[in-house]
Amino acid sequence: MARVSVKTFSVIRDVLGSDIVEVEVDKPETVGGVFDVLLRKYGEPFKEMIWDPNTGEMTPFLIRLNDEMIRSTCDMGREIKDGDRIALIIPLGGG
Amino acid sequence: MAFQYGGYVGQILRVNLTNKGITKEPLREDWARDFVGGVGLSARIIYEEVKANSDPLGPENKLVLMTGPVNGTMIPAASRSCFCAKSPYTGSFFHSIFGGFLGPEVKFAGYDGIIIEGKAKAPVYIWIDDDKVQIKDAGHLWGKDPFRTQEILRKEIGDEEIHIATIGLAGEQMAPYAMILCDIRAAGRGGMGAVMGSKNLKAICARGTGAVTVPNVLKVYNTAIRLNELVTTTPAVKGLSEYGTPRMVGALNEGGILPTRNWQTEVFKGMKNITAEVMREKVVKGDRACFACSINCTKYSVVPSGPYKSIINGADYETVYGFGACCAVDNIEALCKADELCDHYGIDLISTALCISWAMECYEKGILTKDDTDGIELKFGNADGMLQMIEKIGKREGLGALLAKGTREAAKIVGKDSVRFAIQNKGLELAGHTARPFPACAVGYATGPRGGSHHDIRPTPEKMGMVDRKVLEGKGALAAEINHWLILCDSMLVCHLAEPIWGPMKISDTTIEALNVVTGWELDYEEARKIAERQWNMIRCFSAREGFTREDDQLPIRFMEEPVPEGPMEGSYIPRETLERLKDDYFSYRGWDLKTGNPTREKLAELGLDFAIDDIC
Repeated sequence: MARVSVKTFSVIRDVLGSDIVEVEVDKPETVGGVFDVLLRKYGEPFKEMIWDPNTGEMTPFLIRLNDEMIRSTCDMGREIKDGDRIALIIPLGGG
Repeated sequence: MAFQYGGYVGQILRVNLTNKGITKEPLREDWARDFVGGVGLSARIIYEEVKANSDPLGPENKLVLMTGPVNGTMIPAASRSCFCAKSPYTGSFFHSIFGGFLGPEVKFAGYDGIIIEGKAKAPVYIWIDDDKVQIKDAGHLWGKDPFRTQEILRKEIGDEEIHIATIGLAGEQMAPYAMILCDIRAAGRGGMGAVMGSKNLKAICARGTGAVTVPNVLKVYNTAIRLNELVTTTPAVKGLSEYGTPRMVGALNEGGILPTRNWQTEVFKGMKNITAEVMREKVVKGDRACFACSINCTKYSVVPSGPYKSIINGADYETVYGFGACCAVDNIEALCKADELCDHYGIDLISTALCISWAMECYEKGILTKDDTDGIELKFGNADGMLQMIEKIGKREGLGALLAKGTREAAKIVGKDSVRFAIQNKGLELAGHTARPFPACAVGYATGPRGGSHHDIRPTPEKMGMVDRKVLEGKGALAAEINHWLILCDSMLVCHLAEPIWGPMKISDTTIEALNVVTGWELDYEEARKIAERQWNMIRCFSAREGFTREDDQLPIRFMEEPVPEGPMEGSYIPRETLERLKDDYFSYRGWDLKTGNPTREKLAELGLDFAIDDIC
């Protein structure tokens, strides 16, 4: 079991209700596992924020894992450990 | 006889301010098919009508206001229009795009675009009332700020519903980065306001009661309904309605990609005070949408009292980036005041902010002193100093007169190696989208015809992790295909804020569908891509004819010599040799000459641009 903090912004923060939420991740203790927990806990409103209806898949985005930038498209299997900090740098179109 | 393609009126209005000539000309059908409209069509017209090495502020330059075939239909985000001319700021062909209602109104009045040429003897404005077009005296408007001018004109004409483009004091004085305010949205970049001012043209007012004709209304309706659903449900567009374009400030800062303190770093410690959430809580009073748009990205904000009392339509992300992070000012009310002052004087907000952040760095490094700043302590974070300097730029007083020239020219005059922190390319200061960690964005900035425009290239595919940002291979091709979806959308004309729908890696099927359903064309991907490639090459030909070469395709020195010093992108930069390699990659992919960076004879013939061969090959 790994306990990690997840930081979000803008409308995703609004769904989660706080800038930072703590989640406990059981097997698999991976970045993907964190998203599984978030999807279970926050349901459809959270899924709508990260799911692209055009492709039927999770939209691509960057994730900050501690001080490293990783990608949702290929790094969901990255292992996490207790105390890790995750930030969702998503999505950044426009502006 | 009706124009044979849907979405077009089939008529161009030409106004000659020298001889007060007003003519209505048929839109060339071959040009509509080859260049679509908007930026592409304007580039073709200006290449034809503005001779090489013309003075951008002389009567020989032309100011084109152009719409696109999708403008004025119910397709979402089809609100944009463009002002185009040879830029007095960069010397290149320039397109400055704006949202709102003016473009659709011009179409409803019966024109796909307006070509303005010559120079009036005294200040005038143009009043377009459907087919009745008049050049009217604007002596009483000269010296007035854009919003006051609009107020007077609406009262004078007796119609609150007219849409108006107007310049402020900066445009009248032909300040190099003067903008044109179009109702509440700005054609901000590249000095289009200076071109307008050089013609003694204070304003353009339009009222139209016509409509846009499409081949099959039901098909357009069904497409519009589907695209509206996409616009409102696509994650990368979400948040714009609630928070506007600043929605991403917090995420950018967390990702270490929020340009700060004149790009000395990309993490702003004061960010928490200027986020979109803080704006919403403290100053935002309402939302505003452009024509036919379901995004509602514009925020209406009020600071009711105090030293920063202001009413603005914003602040947009570029305000938060430029006056916030880059000037290190973490007071949201001061940012609102800065935004208001830029509109008041009619100056481009991005260039203004970057000129001041450059001056702040000069001041902190002892290159500029209080003797230069009229006693202002021009340090990073000094909100009042920043606001005083905007006033000085607007009035071209003291140091403001120097900064009104832009960072490239100011650095030449000040010397002392201050060019090293002039954040510009081809003279245009960069918007708030970093390229140091993103090679495709970097080569896009470098080769972009406008220089520092974040709409000649987008960092999005690299910023969203759709591609590996650390890999150089293929980034020239990626930059070129991003160019293509941008230029096609800028010709249709639809808003880039719906970027995930129109692009973001290449021209999307949705973009082609929107163009086809409105025009009645049946373009496939290769045909649409070829149009976009032709448009991009057309603009490159204009630059080449003006003498631009590969050597002009540069990045700010800071991007090439100073790695990001902190945060998760620490160590990122684009060394010169990397940039040259990326340029080789980009030019090779485009079939351009590696030595000059110009399109080759073969490429121009392939794209039907034979008329430019003798000019540049």
